[in-house]
Amino acid sequence: MTTPLPQVAIPGQCLGSASKYTAGPGTHIQQSNIYASIAGPVILDPAQPNTQTKSTLRVSRTIPAKPHLASTSKLKDRYNTLPAVNSIVLARVTRVQKRQATVSILVVLDEDSLDPAQTSDNDNIASILTSAANPENHSTTDELRFQALIRKEDVRAVEKDRVVMDEMFRVGDIVRGSVISLGDQSFYYITTSRNDLGVVMARSEGGNMMFPVSWKEMRDPITNASELRKVARPY
Amino acid sequence: MLELPTIQDTMNDRRRINGPAEGTRPPVYASHLKSGGATDRAQRQREPTDLRKIFLKTGLIPSASGSSYLEFAPSSSLANARSNPKSLIPPSSALKLSCTVHGPKPLPRSAAFSPNLVLTTHVKYAPFAARKRKGHIRDASERDLGVHLETALRGAIIAERWPKSGIDLTITILEAEDDRWWADAPDLHDASWGMMNVLAGCITAASAAIADAHIDCLDLVSGGVAALVSDDSTEDSAAAPRLMLDADPAEHRSIMAACVVAYMPARDEITELWLKGESSKIALEKGDQRSAHEALIDGAVDAARGAHSVLSEAVRETMLRAVTPL
Amino acid sequence: MASTSNEAPAVPPSLSLPPSQFARLQPHAYLLAHLSPPAATNQPSIRANGREPLQFRTTSANCGSLTHTNGSAVVRIGDTAAVCGVRAELLHTDDIASWSVARTSSASTNKRQRLAELGEDVTEEDNEDEDDQDRAHIEDLSLLVPNLSLSTGCAPGYLPGAPPSTTAQSISHEILSLLHSSRLVKADDLRIWYQPPNLGPEDEQMDVDEGAGKKAETEEQKPREIKAYWVLYIDIMIISLAGNPFDAAWASVVAALRDTKLPNAWWDVDNETVLCSDDVSEAHKLTLRGLPVASSFCVFEADAAAGWRAKPIPNAQQQKKDGKGRWILADPDGYEDNLAHERVSIVVDKEKNGKTVILKMEKVGGWTIDTEDLRRLVDVSSKRWDEMKQIFDQC
Repeated sequence: MTTPLPQVAIPGQCLGSASKYTAGPGTHIQQSNIYASIAGPVILDPAQPNTQTKSTLRVSRTIPAKPHLASTSKLKDRYNTLPAVNSIVLARVTRVQKRQATVSILVVLDEDSLDPAQTSDNDNIASILTSAANPENHSTTDELRFQALIRKEDVRAVEKDRVVMDEMFRVGDIVRGSVISLGDQSFYYITTSRNDLGVVMARSEGGNMMFPVSWKEMRDPITNASELRKVARPY
Repeated sequence: MLELPTIQDTMNDRRRINGPAEGTRPPVYASHLKSGGATDRAQRQREPTDLRKIFLKTGLIPSASGSSYLEFAPSSSLANARSNPKSLIPPSSALKLSCTVHGPKPLPRSAAFSPNLVLTTHVKYAPFAARKRKGHIRDASERDLGVHLETALRGAIIAERWPKSGIDLTITILEAEDDRWWADAPDLHDASWGMMNVLAGCITAASAAIADAHIDCLDLVSGGVAALVSDDSTEDSAAAPRLMLDADPAEHRSIMAACVVAYMPARDEITELWLKGESSKIALEKGDQRSAHEALIDGAVDAARGAHSVLSEAVRETMLRAVTPL
Repeated sequence: MASTSNEAPAVPPSLSLPPSQFARLQPHAYLLAHLSPPAATNQPSIRANGREPLQFRTTSANCGSLTHTNGSAVVRIGDTAAVCGVRAELLHTDDIASWSVARTSSASTNKRQRLAELGEDVTEEDNEDEDDQDRAHIEDLSLLVPNLSLSTGCAPGYLPGAPPSTTAQSISHEILSLLHSSRLVKADDLRIWYQPPNLGPEDEQMDVDEGAGKKAETEEQKPREIKAYWVLYIDIMIISLAGNPFDAAWASVVAALRDTKLPNAWWDVDNETVLCSDDVSEAHKLTLRGLPVASSFCVFEADAAAGWRAKPIPNAQQQKKDGKGRWILADPDGYEDNLAHERVSIVVDKEKNGKTVILKMEKVGGWTIDTEDLRRLVDVSSKRWDEMKQIFDQC
């Protein structure tokens, strides 16, 4: 007896037997049945052919932008929308010290895809526009965002001992980094020691947006002054 | 003689606008002073097992990660009074509340490391929510509601999926339930019965908001209330108390005991149970072998099942709205 | 503030981002890109939320749905929602320490008597003197008590259970001062009079009194006296915040006051207290003075950094004159609110002949708004008044 899978599920809805499927993200197992734990579209990832593995059942966190394009199965759902090891994040530098820089995580990108359609569920324009980024003052905002550290040794892969933090990041820069550890109770740890990681947006001392000129230099288009940064390779 | 209302203490709070320093008194109605009362007690028009309709919608507050709005349909007496107003004194009242979830977000710096999701609940009445004006600062009953709500939800959330993060769940009660009929003097059995209905509503609304925020749950958990009431109007003094689901305290002469549960139908589990009143002393009708508290719990679970169908419908509807954009 | 993320529009960000990320990382540039589309495309200037610069959000109002209030209203302006409940309680004049003192001083007694006479023959036209008295009474005795709460979970960042935030405090005070200055509520609606007895015994004593001469002139006159005041607790809960809380809060206050019914109340000699009738037909609605409508605006500047740069750019002032690089946005949403440094708030009412009356005009931060702009904004506010009037009349 094969009951067809429901298109969408709500928490607590039974989806199928655990003997038939593997429980994926958005589901949990209870008494050898798979139940949905979030509300969303039910997606069946077929097993690799020629293997003994079962197909994976999951409930997607993301609502497909175009429902008839069910080819979203390429995207991997995660168990949550929090930063995880290997997550690529965009973060704003909030403090630069001798041994480390503190950043505030703004966006968690999925490591597998840079598909613009793939955004976390609360990352839609409507919700961004309603909420002020900083309701009362700046410190409140940072309390609402996950904090991370970039340690001196994680800034770049080469000439690690010659890293001067002030020449890598400045407060206000937007940095692309990769999470290396969930860290302690208050900080994640992220690294920028890859060519594609580092500062992606920065303003000069004159207050103008700079453009990258090399892997360690950015330039102000108006004053023509250049400043040092650990620059991410532009696409 | 009547007991005159005491002057409300006005706390001098410099961050709020304070009323007259002398304090103010709630109005006293002349009809209230006449013995017997001017209006008749509201009568329950529903069958003992019928629930009031619940209006529930999720996702109305875009700045929150999850949100819901819940309303109980007014009892017939209140509905009549609304459509054909005669007295300024409402015969009963019907729960209205709004619930938001913010997060998951980082835990405060001072907090210890938690491998799980930390849930914070907060329940507050609007000053105009109840028959008596509520203060701006949370009182004991509001804190109590928050704690009960937290237990109810904690049993449903899969907290280990969200390490070292927290969510804040806030409920604002715009209209509360009555604890008794307004003209009744508090009696021996009296407790804040209305609070149990409020808790049931809070549980259902909170569960909807958490689902709207896409926080992993074992099941949608819903709240239900049942009460054992003795309405002397039956003239039969030996009559056993009757079990009423979703009892509106304004509609009954005397509530002996009541029970509220938070219930997950998919697993047939109760995550929160709160029983008030002297249920052990109550004998049920002949033929009913259950003890009074068993009957109460069964009744409350039935009520919760009813609320669950509304809850799952609301969650499903919001999702379908998102899946099939207009 | 978000000023760290300003950028010159000429330089595109170095990586292509989906709109939602761009909006979050570069809010200023995101809004600017919407407002100043490339000249070649010939597109009109549209805000990120799809509205035109001076367009308000869809507004709705709903009255009288809260059971335990004398009057209530829910007002939604876009995704900002305010719930206002008015609760009336009594302030006995016996409880007012300064009341008896004031009565003994002859000057104020005279005033009050005059007031009492005025109260008897209430004329339709507002009397200047009465207005002043109204304001003094309502203000001195704190008969209107508005409080706004943002601690409702309405937006992240406002902690529930915490004392009122600075925003909440300042809006509460603005509402209070606007209630006072607009004289929206008439003090006479709040007074509970008592006419000391009474024809029966008085008739008998009349002869005696007259015979006894002027024993006690005040007693003989038996003036009406005020035994109590209604105090209106006006509580506003913002249950959803998406920018511009003031307009929504004020609209909810006006709508709730329009809905407010006070029971008929009298001084009961036997019980020595004020008693009320619960009969709906005896209750009276408040007679409000006018219908003040609030309209808020913010100013978005292409180069907000200009103001704090060490070297001012010489032609910046000229640019502003041209209206380039600067947009006035009506009814800002949360995102725009956050990016603006300059705000204008205008409260207007309209007289019966259609003349617009400005009740309040406030401009904070920045220096780009000039009198010409203000004149234009008053016109916009006056149009908004017509819109709001319709909404109020429907609820």
